Amino acid sequence: MEQILKATQLSKYFYQKKALNKVDINIEKGNIYGILGPNGGGKSTFLKIAAGLLKPSQGEITIDNEKPGVYTKSIVSYLPENNYLYRWMKIKDALNFFKDLYNDFDFEKARESIKFMELEEGEKVTSLSKGMMGRLKLTLALSRKAKLYLLDEPLNGIDPISREKIITSILDSYSEKASILICSHLIYYIEKLLDYVFFLSEGRIILSGNAEELRNKRGMSIDKLFQEVF
Amino acid sequence: MMTLLKYEIYRRWRWLVLRYVALIIIGIILLNRVASPAYQNEFIGESIGKFIFASLVIFIIVIVEGINMLKEDLFEECGYLTFTIPKKGRTVLASKLVLLFLQLSFWTMISIGFGSILFSKLPYHEIVQIETQINFYLFPTVLFILTAFFNFVLMVHFSLTLTKTLLVNKRYSSLLSTGIFFFLIYFIEKVYYGPFLNQLNHVSIEIGSRSNINLLSGGYTAVFLNIILTAIFFTATAYLLENKINI
Repeated sequence: MEQILKATQLSKYFYQKKALNKVDINIEKGNIYGILGPNGGGKSTFLKIAAGLLKPSQGEITIDNEKPGVYTKSIVSYLPENNYLYRWMKIKDALNFFKDLYNDFDFEKARESIKFMELEEGEKVTSLSKGMMGRLKLTLALSRKAKLYLLDEPLNGIDPISREKIITSILDSYSEKASILICSHLIYYIEKLLDYVFFLSEGRIILSGNAEELRNKRGMSIDKLFQEVF
Repeated sequence: MMTLLKYEIYRRWRWLVLRYVALIIIGIILLNRVASPAYQNEFIGESIGKFIFASLVIFIIVIVEGINMLKEDLFEECGYLTFTIPKKGRTVLASKLVLLFLQLSFWTMISIGFGSILFSKLPYHEIVQIETQINFYLFPTVLFILTAFFNFVLMVHFSLTLTKTLLVNKRYSSLLSTGIFFFLIYFIEKVYYGPFLNQLNHVSIEIGSRSNINLLSGGYTAVFLNIILTAIFFTATAYLLENKINI
């Protein structure tokens, strides 16, 4: 399988705190990966480095054989945990912004997804509830034809109805040409999506492997395994 | 860059329109008052003063906004969007500076337009008296002020960006960026402009001139020095934005 992301001995320090400590992760095309771990374990830090928002302190990360930069930003679709859209935007402005700035943005798919997510294009982003904002962010991220999707806690604080819609959207976006990397501590809801998992705690990978193999080997679900490990 | 510029304008167009319309309305009101036959000559100066004050307020707003344009992206959550779009650091920075230049152009046109009309309402002998007091070359002075303005904004941008390279959290960022900014001012004054001013002083003494020497006395050479500094700060800030910042 062709690799899309390769992290070698990747470390990130914030002063004395090691957010990531010599992490090795390889992501191949056509799979859905989960980076699972408790809050503060280094999951978001890893995604931010891959998205080009943080610089590694040590080690190396490449995406499609390039270090994070303008090229990798054009092939990586990043969904951050926070509300990153400009406050002045309406939903339709956000769609137009993505259409204008990402060549791979599928505007029609996004509009259909907005309807599926039961959002109104005329609504201001500041007036959206957390669930609606989560659905909008996911629509924007998954409407790109990216090679790698980085989804940071896509289900955090999301109501059950929105959660189902989000999981359906992620499944619909699956393609053999792309990879999806999901960071979450809500394992129960995303377990069925994952092909491979990495358990990350205190900046280190403490367990990794094929999700199905881990389930068979340990005789329990990934969610139960997560609870046992942490 | 034009796409980013479009969104920079779109993002704040209401405020842009509001501030220039406000300045134009103030100018029209003052012109109307001055044009009234009942209006006495001594109040023309007062109207000019009021217009200069209003114009300065708008100018300060333009500067603050010019600084905040990048500060918001560096320190607020919207930076996650700005710095994940596939654009080079210089493109992001240039889009903000072009908007700043456009704003400055509008402000200059409105200020000079109304200012010169108000000025022309003064009695002829007062105009002549003021004109004789102006003893600087207009074009190099305007160029110097323009380049110094961009130097100032870019120095602030550089200080903020360097801060975001060194610190991730916001707690001490204001303190650090202010410290970097004042250090830059001190350093540039001593190392960059200092030798040039010494040279000017030396020449001034040689030719027996007793006039006060400052950077404006440097004419086009001072403008050239400013342009070099602008280029340095633009390049350094763009490099940090693209390669070093931690959002």
